Amino acid sequence: MHIAVLAKVVPDYEVPAGDFELVGGRAHSRYTRMIGLYDENAIETGVQLKEKYGATLSVISYGKTEDVSLLRKAVAMGGDTLNLVIGESDDPYVIAANLKMAVEKLGNVDLILAGQQSADMDRGIVHSILAEMLGYSFLPKIAFIEFDQGGWKVRQIHENGSRELEFKGKGVLSITSIPENVPRIPAVRSIFAAKKKPVDKMEGILGAPMNVEELSVQIPRMESVCEFLPMEDVGQTAKLLLAKLREGRYL
Amino acid sequence: MIRIPYWNISYGILIDAFALPAMAVLIYGLYGHWKKIRQGKLRLKSALADMPGKIGPVYVPALITKGILGSKIYRKLFTGIAHGALFWGMGALAVGTTLVFLNVLFKIPVFEGAFNRWFMSFFLDLSGLAALAGLLFFLLRRLSPPERLVKPKERPGFVPPVCLLGAVILTGFLIEAFRIAANGPEPHAFVGNFIAGFLPAGNAVAHRALWWSHGLLSLAFIAYIPFSPLVHIFLVPVNTALASPLPGTRMGVIDFSSFDSEDAGEMPALGCAKLADFTQKRLLDYDSCLWCGRCHEVCPAASTGKPLSPKGVMVTLAEKLAAGGFDDEGLIDAVGENAIFACTTCTACMEACPACINQPKTILKFRQNLVMEQSRIPELMGKAMNSLEQRQHPFFGTGAGPKDWSKGLEVPVFEPGESQYLLWIGCAVTYEERAQKIARAMVKILEAAGVSYGILEESRCTGDPAKQMGNEFLFSELAKTNIEEFNEMGVKKIITLCPHCYNSFSRHYPPLGGTYEITPHAVFIQQLISARKLKLSAGGETISYHDPCYLGRRNRFLDEPRSVIDAIGKRIEMPRSGMESFCCGGGGGNYWAEEEGTRINQARSKEALDTGADRIATACPFCLLMITDGSKKFTEAQKAFDIAELVAEQF
Amino acid sequence: MKSLIIEIIDPKRIGELVTAGRIFGGAPDILAIGKGGIPGAYGKAYQADELVAANIVDVAAELIQREGYEVILLSATTVGAEIAGRLSVALKAPVISEIIGIAADMTVKRPLYGGKAVAQYKINKFPVVLTIRRKYFEPAVLEGTTPAVSLGAGGAGITFVSEEEIKTEGIPLEDADIIISGGRGIGAKENFTMLREMAGIVNAAVGASRGAVDEGWAAPTMQIGQTGNIVAPSVYFAVGISGASQHLAGIANAKCVVAINKDEEANIFKRARFGIVADYKTVLPALTKALKEEQ
Repeated sequence: MHIAVLAKVVPDYEVPAGDFELVGGRAHSRYTRMIGLYDENAIETGVQLKEKYGATLSVISYGKTEDVSLLRKAVAMGGDTLNLVIGESDDPYVIAANLKMAVEKLGNVDLILAGQQSADMDRGIVHSILAEMLGYSFLPKIAFIEFDQGGWKVRQIHENGSRELEFKGKGVLSITSIPENVPRIPAVRSIFAAKKKPVDKMEGILGAPMNVEELSVQIPRMESVCEFLPMEDVGQTAKLLLAKLREGRYL
Repeated sequence: MIRIPYWNISYGILIDAFALPAMAVLIYGLYGHWKKIRQGKLRLKSALADMPGKIGPVYVPALITKGILGSKIYRKLFTGIAHGALFWGMGALAVGTTLVFLNVLFKIPVFEGAFNRWFMSFFLDLSGLAALAGLLFFLLRRLSPPERLVKPKERPGFVPPVCLLGAVILTGFLIEAFRIAANGPEPHAFVGNFIAGFLPAGNAVAHRALWWSHGLLSLAFIAYIPFSPLVHIFLVPVNTALASPLPGTRMGVIDFSSFDSEDAGEMPALGCAKLADFTQKRLLDYDSCLWCGRCHEVCPAASTGKPLSPKGVMVTLAEKLAAGGFDDEGLIDAVGENAIFACTTCTACMEACPACINQPKTILKFRQNLVMEQSRIPELMGKAMNSLEQRQHPFFGTGAGPKDWSKGLEVPVFEPGESQYLLWIGCAVTYEERAQKIARAMVKILEAAGVSYGILEESRCTGDPAKQMGNEFLFSELAKTNIEEFNEMGVKKIITLCPHCYNSFSRHYPPLGGTYEITPHAVFIQQLISARKLKLSAGGETISYHDPCYLGRRNRFLDEPRSVIDAIGKRIEMPRSGMESFCCGGGGGNYWAEEEGTRINQARSKEALDTGADRIATACPFCLLMITDGSKKFTEAQKAFDIAELVAEQF
Repeated sequence: MKSLIIEIIDPKRIGELVTAGRIFGGAPDILAIGKGGIPGAYGKAYQADELVAANIVDVAAELIQREGYEVILLSATTVGAEIAGRLSVALKAPVISEIIGIAADMTVKRPLYGGKAVAQYKINKFPVVLTIRRKYFEPAVLEGTTPAVSLGAGGAGITFVSEEEIKTEGIPLEDADIIISGGRGIGAKENFTMLREMAGIVNAAVGASRGAVDEGWAAPTMQIGQTGNIVAPSVYFAVGISGASQHLAGIANAKCVVAINKDEEANIFKRARFGIVADYKTVLPALTKALKEEQ
């Protein structure tokens, strides 16, 4: 069984809003870079499947060469190979085309896992585009995966609960975060072992971006003056709050 | 009546012949302990700090004061006096017995004159009484023991040797009394003379029986020592001789370069998971432990209902050692992962231990294994560690940017070759909004005093949280980055705002290649005051000072912060202060922890607030944050402040 | 603009997409997924009797090309995520997801960086596939129903096995006018009872931040935030929630935020209208009591 997991290195997703700066419509380069949060959930899921079914786990990423040292964490967590397609596009079709190239180069990939959405562009769209380009099935927001009698059984989380679905053949699944796929901390041994695992770097292709024009990227101004209520007498405070809420016609 | 040795005893010299097998058993028993201890790893030379009086691996001053004089035992006065009475009483009696032996062999005149009266009779009688009194204290205490002796477990095996020794002393007195009853009073032998008054005269048979009983009981006692808790007579002095007197732990440097090699077998095991992973010195620690529970009493985790008890850890290890379970991999789980991570690394346990056992080092070794080998760490702590790895600071979820603390302030940047001091801000002060004020206050103070200083452009962490959580690898990576930068910039002197930073720089950075002159900010302020660079006026406010563990107990800076407080207000001490200061609960990575039981910081805050002081001063950002949070349970008012903040109010 | 809504039969979700579609001009048609009457009046209505949204992609693409639809409207939900990317490739069309703002000149806005930035795009090519974020558009009133043309079955690519609905205790989040939400500061699963108690009195819904859900104290369906539910209540009580930007993205349209948090420096206070710096365990019972008295 050969599983591939897609990982993207993004600027620190926990930069506080007060410190957030844009340069050229994108996050300032001073922010530390790291693998996205949902991607780590996907990697963890991949490693668990590898351990359960003895599969090979390949890590695929589209991005900069400098990010290899960060992507090694995915290998340290349990990935077998690291495959980086070098490129800088933000366009989902271009990214998907490049990832498709890496998948096809690996050959015989049975399942592709991806984080639900990236922590910078927040689109959650590249994986499904990739699936259609490859002709694989696609399901988003997956929590549990099992391989049973030649087919995949998955649990999908949606707004009202969850559902169990099955499909045969190859698929792309986007992974949502649950307590069971909290990413593991790699052991020091694994971190060192990861440095010795093979890294395949490929030149990216230009691809065909979609016809959408980015007009602007701005930081919205948050305006709110918070009225702090006194806390001497909690009973009084409660009544005061309710009074103010009624005054403002909120309640 | 001059006393004749072996009076009434025929073939008395036989008892000395019996001494030989007794000694053999003693040595055999001690050898059994050595056989267990030597299963540990060899100790690294680097673990031994160089100090005056150190000869080879032996710290001679410590051996004398803590090992032989037992200075730490006296911290509990009554126990100390009882133990002293027993120990020195028996010591004197042993000397006396030896002198009798020498008199028999070499005719040394001990039974003559003033020496006989004052030493052989009076002083030895007194010693016997003292020893008996001490013994009774310990025996009777076991009938209703203080909690520390029984929680979490009581050490078995004290009663037989104590009773044996008691019998030895009593028979000793009876022999004297019977001898005196037969031969008349001996000058100054007040106990013997007294008891003889109750005895029938001339009972030679009783005397002989008692004499042989006493001899055999004594030899039995000696032979029994290594099989009973009294083996501490030998083990504890050895342990104190070999224990580094430096407060706190060092953990040593792991050479991670061996991990780069191709051979997986070359990579050393990280941390300790089973008994065989520990060094011989650690195994000696476990064997020496008397389960006295003083560490348990002072432990902030144990006293607030956490699963951790330093005594409990030692007990588990001692039992494992006694059972010979050197390769038992279940050791860590027997101690308990939760217990291991509940430790705040305050080292109060180590400070209280009369046997100079290093409990924190053992706990941290377990942590290293859990984190670096097994990837086991409590979730919140893991998040902090992850954040430290990804963004070089552990304060995940912070709302502060790296330059927020200095908004509106003109703070000079460190100029290589020009700035005298590097003001190291540290991660807690940078990313925690309450703590940012410490830096602002210190900048004000440095400006007012005209100090030549500068900060780094980029804020960073020393790596201390990683080390405390057990991740030596992450620590060494962060440290090396910092050291490289410091060396490049020619940094020589550093002022720290956080004792954890101070501790990292002064203790852990030198073995990694970074040696600088570090001063904690409270100490620096005191130096400025002494040099008259700061004019302060003492207000009428009462201020209570909370000693941060990493400043006070672990690095012995107790007086300097107090001088500063005396210069600005009236100092009130808390019940537990100075070297006995009670931890705020933020150390050991436990700033990022969901606590069980009572919250440590609330316990300490209550203690501080109960002094009635107007303000609570501290000298560590973690302490400040923990006490500020802990006080919220008891009062609305903001009472906790850093020393720098209090001083800066005057500018 | 010839627009087509593709959605499950849920009046609120459909209503929001109708509003969004109208901004582009004209009235959207609808392709409903699932069984049942289709609420609202449409020029054309289609229906695919299918439980799994993924299975209708090919059929939908064929319909769109045949009828020449220009704008395809989906909600930014699991269903929308299942369809959007694949459909756009099948149509060789651009796709823009998580839209929070629409203008008639074919410009749309969407958040980046967890909501810290907002990007604006101009659509130049049609058809275009859009997914619209919940609660950013007022749901249009849907009157009556429209009979639908049944679409042939798509491939049975994905088999539906079973459904598990999480019984939301009380009001579902999206309909609630008042939401009481708990974060990491709640401390334990049991403590959510306090929030439920207060919610019960005013018919409020109970939500949770990602922190509380990750801890296992609340079901994922209760999660509010950029990657959970987007809500727009009149009053939002943020209890023990620090206010990370991803959470704030979920309450961007809440009218009045009341924050209760022990930490006065917590980020939530920058968004809140009213703030109480205290342990929620002292505040909530008092609020509950005051609310009971008012009834």
